[in-house]
Formats: sequence, C-alpha cells, structure tokens
Amino acid sequence: MDIWNNIVLGFSVAVTPFNLFLAFVGVFLGTVIGVLPGIGPMTGIALLIPITFGLPPNSAIILMAGIYYGAMYGGSTTSILVNAPGESSSVVTCIDGFEMAKKGRAGPALAAAAIGSFIAGTFATIMLMILGPAIAQFALNFGPPEYFALMFAGLTVVTSLAGRSLVKALLATTIGLAISTIGIDLQSGVSRYTFGNLEMLDGLEFLVVAIGLFALSEVLANLADMRQAVMERLSIKGGLWLTKEDWKRAIPAFIRGTLSGFFVGGLAGAGAAVASFVSYGIEKSTGKHKEELGHGAIEGVAGPEAANNAAAGGAMIHLLCLGIPGSGTTAIMLGALLMLGLQPGPLLFQQQPDFVWGLIASMYIGNVMLLVLNLPLVGMWVKILDIPLYLLVLFIILFSFLGVYTVNNSVQDLLLMVGFGIIGYILRRLDIPAAPIILAMVLGDLMEQALRQSLIISDGSLGIFVTRPISLILLILAAISITNPYWGQLGAFFRRIFGQKTAA
Amino acid sequence: MKAQRIASLTFTALAIAYLAGAFFIKEPPLRQQLGPDAFPKTIGVMMLVLSLLYVRIEFQRQPVKEDDERAAIIGAEEKLSDYVDYKTIGIMLALMLGYGLAFESLGYPLATFLMFMAGIYVLDLKHWKRDLIIAIIASFGIYFLFRYALRVNLPIGVLKFLFR
Repeated sequence: MDIWNNIVLGFSVAVTPFNLFLAFVGVFLGTVIGVLPGIGPMTGIALLIPITFGLPPNSAIILMAGIYYGAMYGGSTTSILVNAPGESSSVVTCIDGFEMAKKGRAGPALAAAAIGSFIAGTFATIMLMILGPAIAQFALNFGPPEYFALMFAGLTVVTSLAGRSLVKALLATTIGLAISTIGIDLQSGVSRYTFGNLEMLDGLEFLVVAIGLFALSEVLANLADMRQAVMERLSIKGGLWLTKEDWKRAIPAFIRGTLSGFFVGGLAGAGAAVASFVSYGIEKSTGKHKEELGHGAIEGVAGPEAANNAAAGGAMIHLLCLGIPGSGTTAIMLGALLMLGLQPGPLLFQQQPDFVWGLIASMYIGNVMLLVLNLPLVGMWVKILDIPLYLLVLFIILFSFLGVYTVNNSVQDLLLMVGFGIIGYILRRLDIPAAPIILAMVLGDLMEQALRQSLIISDGSLGIFVTRPISLILLILAAISITNPYWGQLGAFFRRIFGQKTAA
Repeated sequence: MKAQRIASLTFTALAIAYLAGAFFIKEPPLRQQLGPDAFPKTIGVMMLVLSLLYVRIEFQRQPVKEDDERAAIIGAEEKLSDYVDYKTIGIMLALMLGYGLAFESLGYPLATFLMFMAGIYVLDLKHWKRDLIIAIIASFGIYFLFRYALRVNLPIGVLKFLFR
C-alpha cells in the first residue's frame, strides 16, 4: 500500500539522529512554554523562529511542530496545579483540574491530561496520514477562485470565534489585511504605503509584527500588574496513576474529546480553545457523572485536554494540505515556512513527500516523547514556575530583540517591534484580539494574488466566485460563520414582525 | 469606557487615512483587471464601516451583555486586571527603546548586559549577585554561542577591540 511506503519514508527522515534531537528539543521547549504562564504557543513559536533559520525546512518544521503540540501538553500542568492556564486552550482544564488537585488528586488529573493528549495527538496524526493525501489530491483541482474563497472562509471562521466582540475581531482582521498591503506590489511593481522609506519596500517583516504583538505586549501586560501577582500552588500528593474507576470514567471522555476536538476544532477550523469548551459542554450534557463536573470530575480534565490536542493536530491538516492556517499558531508557522522559502499546499505532498511524511512520523515520535517527558517528570516542570517573573520578562525582551534583529540586521525593525508591542498592549486593554491581525497579515498577500489571478481568468468579472461550485460553497460557509451570532436576533425580529401581523 | 470611545474614533481616523492613502497609489504602466489600488480600497472601506460600527457601539449603547455571553461560550482570553503600574511600564518601554537604539552602536553583548542590569535594578534588586551572573551569561554567553556554535555574528559595536 502506498501509505506504508510513505510511512517508511517518513520515519527514515524523522529517525535521523539530528531530527530526533530536534523533535526532542521541540517538545521540551514546547512543554516549557506551555508550563510558563504568559507565554502561549503563539508567542513561543514566534520567539523561536529565528533558531530555525539555519535549518533545512524539513528539520525546521519538525522543531516547530514539536513546540506546538508540546505547548498544548504543558498548558494543562499549570491549569491543574496553579489554577493558571498556560494558554487559552487550557482554561477549561482549570475548572475540574484544580478542584481535583485541591482534593489531593493532582496526580490522576495530570495523568488523565497527559494520556488524553497522547491519545488525541496520535489520533490526529493518524487522521492526517489518512485524510491528508486525499484532501491534497482534492485541493489540486483548486484554481485561484477556490483558493481565494478558501482563505476568505478561513479568515472569517477564525475571526468569528476570536475575542468578545465580532466588530472588534473583524476590525482586527482588516488591520492585518491593511498591514499586508504595505510595500511593493509584486504584480505591478508599484509601491504602496511606504512613505519613501527604503526599508519599507519589502513590507513589514512578519516576525516584527508577530513578536511585537504577542511577545512584547505580553511583557507589558506582565509588567503592568507584576507587583500584585500572587500564585497559589498545590503540590502533588499521592500516586500519579489512574485507578480502575478513573480509567472507566476517563476513557469515554477521551474518545468524545478526541472526536469533537478533531472535527470541530481541527477540520472545521474553530481552534483548540473552542474545541476544549465544546468538549466540556459535551461532558456536561452527556456524561454519567455530570453533576460532579465543576467539583473535580476526571471527565472535565480528560475530555477538554484530549480535545485541544486533537484540534491542534487537526489544524496541521489545513496547514499542510491546503497551505492555509486554521489558527493563530499555525498562521505563525506558515509565516515561518514562507520565510524559509517553502510554500505549503497540496503540491507539497507530491513534490516534497519527505517533508510531509517526515513531519508526520516525527509527530508520532514527539507524542511518545511527550508522554515520557510529562508523566514522570511533572515535578520538574512545576519547578519552572520558580523562575522569577522579572527574569522571565527580561529574557523574553532579550529573545525578541535577538530574533527580530537576526532576520534583517535592522535597527529600524527593532524599533518597529517595540511599536507593535505598545500597539499590542493597547489592543489587549481594549479587548481587541491580536490573532486575527497575524492571520490576516499572512493571508493578505496570498488572498490579493488569488483575487487578481481569478479576475484575470474571468476577465474582470466577480461572477467567477459564485459560478464555481466549490468557491460558492466556501463563501456561503463564510457568510454563515460571520452572521451566526445574529441569527437569534434575526429570528426574534421576524417573529416580532410576523407576530404583529397575525395579531392585526 | 472613555478609552474605548477614544479608540473607536482613532480607528475611524486611521481607516480614513488608509482609505485616502489608497487613492494616492500610482497607476501601474500596464493596466490590469485589478490594479494595485483595488485591494487597499476595499480593505479601507471595510475598515471604515467597521470602525464606524465600533463608534456606534461605544457611543450609543450601554456595554453589551451578549458580548460577555459570547466570551463565556468561546473562552476568550481573560481580561487584563484594571490595575496598571504605568511607572514600571514607562521605564521598561524607555529601556526597550534604548536597547534597540544601542543594539548596533554599543554592540549586542554590552547593550544586553546593560539592559539586563537596568531591568533588574528597576524590577527587583533582591538577588542582584545571582542576577549579575545570569546577565553576563545572557549577554556575553549568548554572543559567543551565536558566534562560534551557530556561526551568526551579532553586532559587537564598541567592543570591537576584543576581536582584533
């Protein structure tokens, strides 16, 4: 079978000592990032991109993917022991995880999180292996109009789920798109919004914006209330392993979490945070012990932790098969791959099978490594929290500057980065989400290209987007995802109108 | 909600400026179906409409209840606490700007060392001996690591004489 050849090829790439080492470094750093409160996977990957510059693309993505799912794992540890989620996708884990820890059951909670993550990560990798080539094959038929519609849909789905207010999230998206238009327009050679500055001709460097908006704004947010921060930390008492009763309750939750996470958070593009909330909702409505949820039920840890990892794996399908990021973190990975001169997409499976299958194989290996790293060594990870916050802040500043400087050797980039740090912090205070900005910035260029190529094909008619079935479906999807918060209002509106009519 | 109001107006101004800028984009020598100004104009209009909506929300209605419900459903990032230590933020921002400006002229090792020590001075001086060693590793240690292990030459600036 073809798959077997590919798996063999993949492992032959992934099992070289160097790549094994990188996978280990990736999951290790990822776990550290996940454990540290304040640095999420997005910030972590953005900060670590510069180390990948010297690496072949193959090894670079193995490292980045390791950081990505490592961070997903690590996030649960602080949720359970400190009640401080390492990132948004482990917010729900806090609810029951911290309750379990308070009852002296931190061990089983950590074990359930790790095992759930392992099962979900492995499942997502298997699905990537099975579905990936098929999706890529299908996507080969896509022309520019389909791609445009796909990116448009991806952008709206992610935006519609970001932050508290749809208007603000959409505004963030348009800001990202606007940033992407800065610099020389590659199709006509005309410069746009450069104000005569030579360094601006290349556009704003992706890393400058990403690190500014995420890492430095994080620094500023930490500095703002540093002197008030107090953390309550629980220690691990008793065994780490699950009892028979725990297993009986956790396994169904693992399965439900994995499936819902993979399909909702991964394939549908809703993201890991949403996936974990959906999974918690499922446990709350269907679980046998639903009345215990919120008071330290193991399902409340097992389900969401499986779900966020399954979603993270699912998001890789979009990135690899379609070349379109389905989340903020994968957007940063796409940006990094583009910087390395690699364009992910359906052709990747055909042209660079060693890249794709090497990554897939390394994901299996990385998941096993994480299980080994996390369960016995959980005590060590918790010690990371002893690093004083002010040193952490200084190191984030240091790595931000180091990373951005090595891209172009430009001091102007450094100052711009600080500027974006300030902007990022202000946006946070205003409750405007930053993830859509990055996603739109990465997709903006590609969207504009696809749009213009489409119009060349159709000789200037926008009808091309609605006459081709796939792009029409995608655009309808986008419309649904953006309007769905208002359906309730619309319904009420119509009911009022029709209600009045019948009354009259 | 004063900050939100100012922000909404700022975004409107920004959108207008961006949209106006789109009209100054030069025509390319070769006419295309969609010129280089079409995409920016579309974005500019969208941005303007959205920022006007933002203005409307902030100036007309009371803070909306449904927004918080939305946050509960999808798990939006937690809100920042209202307490802000502007003094620390201001000093650290100035420090970062200085670090950026000194990055090439003073060179990476010296600039980093100074930034670190200044940061420690501002934030927490209790363990300064331990932190001094950490600062030396972070500045000179990383410089040598990059120079000899990763073969990346970071700027050395005024310490050039060390490598003569």
